[in-house]
Amino acid sequence: MREKGVEKLEGCEIRTEYEVFEVFVQKTQADPHIHVGSVVAPSPDMALVTARENFLRREQAVNIWIVPRDEVHATPYDDPDWFAREFDRKYREVGGYSENGRLWKRYRERAMHLEDIVRDLNGTPAGNSGKRDGGKGS
Amino acid sequence: MNHDERHDRFMERLERGEKIEATDWMPDEYRRLLLKLIHMHAVSEIMGAFPEKEWVPKAPTLKRKLAIMAKVQDEMGHGQLLLRVAEDLAAPLGKTREDLIDDLIEGRVKFHNVFHMGSPTWADAGVIGWLVDGAAIINQAALLDTSYGPYARVLKRICAEESFHMQHGENIILALAGGTKEQKRMLQEAVNRWWEPLIFFFGPVEVTPAAQRMIDYKIRTKTNEELRQQFFNKYIPRIRSLGLTIPDPDLRCDEKEGKWIFTEPDWKKFGEIVRFNRGPKSQERIGLRRFAHEEQRWVREALVRSREKQPV
Ligand SMILES: [Fe+2]
Ligand SMILES: [Fe+2]
Repeated sequence: MREKGVEKLEGCEIRTEYEVFEVFVQKTQADPHIHVGSVVAPSPDMALVTARENFLRREQAVNIWIVPRDEVHATPYDDPDWFAREFDRKYREVGGYSENGRLWKRYRERAMHLEDIVRDLNGTPAGNSGKRDGGKGS
Repeated sequence: MNHDERHDRFMERLERGEKIEATDWMPDEYRRLLLKLIHMHAVSEIMGAFPEKEWVPKAPTLKRKLAIMAKVQDEMGHGQLLLRVAEDLAAPLGKTREDLIDDLIEGRVKFHNVFHMGSPTWADAGVIGWLVDGAAIINQAALLDTSYGPYARVLKRICAEESFHMQHGENIILALAGGTKEQKRMLQEAVNRWWEPLIFFFGPVEVTPAAQRMIDYKIRTKTNEELRQQFFNKYIPRIRSLGLTIPDPDLRCDEKEGKWIFTEPDWKKFGEIVRFNRGPKSQERIGLRRFAHEEQRWVREALVRSREKQPV
């Protein structure tokens, strides 16, 4: 009996079917590798080429990872407990502190946000933005 | 859990709008319906490359040649992405990629009627991109919210590329529509050739039992006729705006019912073309696919063997 996709040749077991590889693409070096899909290929080298041809005919990228599917370990989809949130996690999030704005008003100031800092670092002059952080009555 | 309970749980998941994954338990019927749909979709992408591929060497300019080549490449790429989805569904049934392609070249899986037809002029290449891709996009966009996660994800990628195909096709036919008398005639003749196959493409007017099951399983949410009417709404005004006539004297919009009344295609003729691969180009194109598949078998096997030789 011949197992599907496997042949015996001179005492060697030989796969005759291609293997499945999961494909991860990194768009720029400032980005993480992101899973985009999978390919079948006879070897990792060919999987890289096939991945480029299948997923990067237009988009630019700097790097591709391919991972044999059998090497991917994953959580189950049908066990919601895995991702259970036992209690409110607002205290971990920006949105959990929305009262800051109201509290700052008492001191005639505004709440500060990361976006403001990034924007100002990127050179928008504080006076011009009309939204100077901490600006009074803006 | 017995089978009925599992089935109920599964239907509840669908009701909640959850997506099903390849590794999840699914009813056998769901698997088979999906596999049939996606297998046909995949091989249609591959066979869909043929009518246009014929125009790669004959494209009128270098830019047109590059663009149509890119499109042909996309369609083969879509075929590959979809075959991946089909393979994972087929694996528990003991089928592999090799089997899925064998099914095509041995006539065990159907592909869309439009890809059995000839593309004798450059205007056909344009009309395929414009109207055949247009019809296919309506079909595919309607499947974006399908209940099967892997299919939904691949469709998202495919639709993004289809939007290029749409512009590409329109650009070709707009050039012809604004061209010489001869070019306009060529375009009109291509529209005449493609109209009836396009109406057939959306499938029977009535909801067949299999189509109803796909709706029950939320594999698809729209009926054939809803999609065909969408196609009419979008394309009839545009076709007419170019001064082209649609080869259906009875075509009219029923304002009261808010739908288009049309002459039904020859269901029997096209049904047989699809079922028995009896269209004008069916055998020639399947022959090309068979040639590629069989003549390159030794390459695929050599690639696999060169990698893995573990003594037992
Ligand atoms: Fe496509
Ligand atoms: Fe397309």
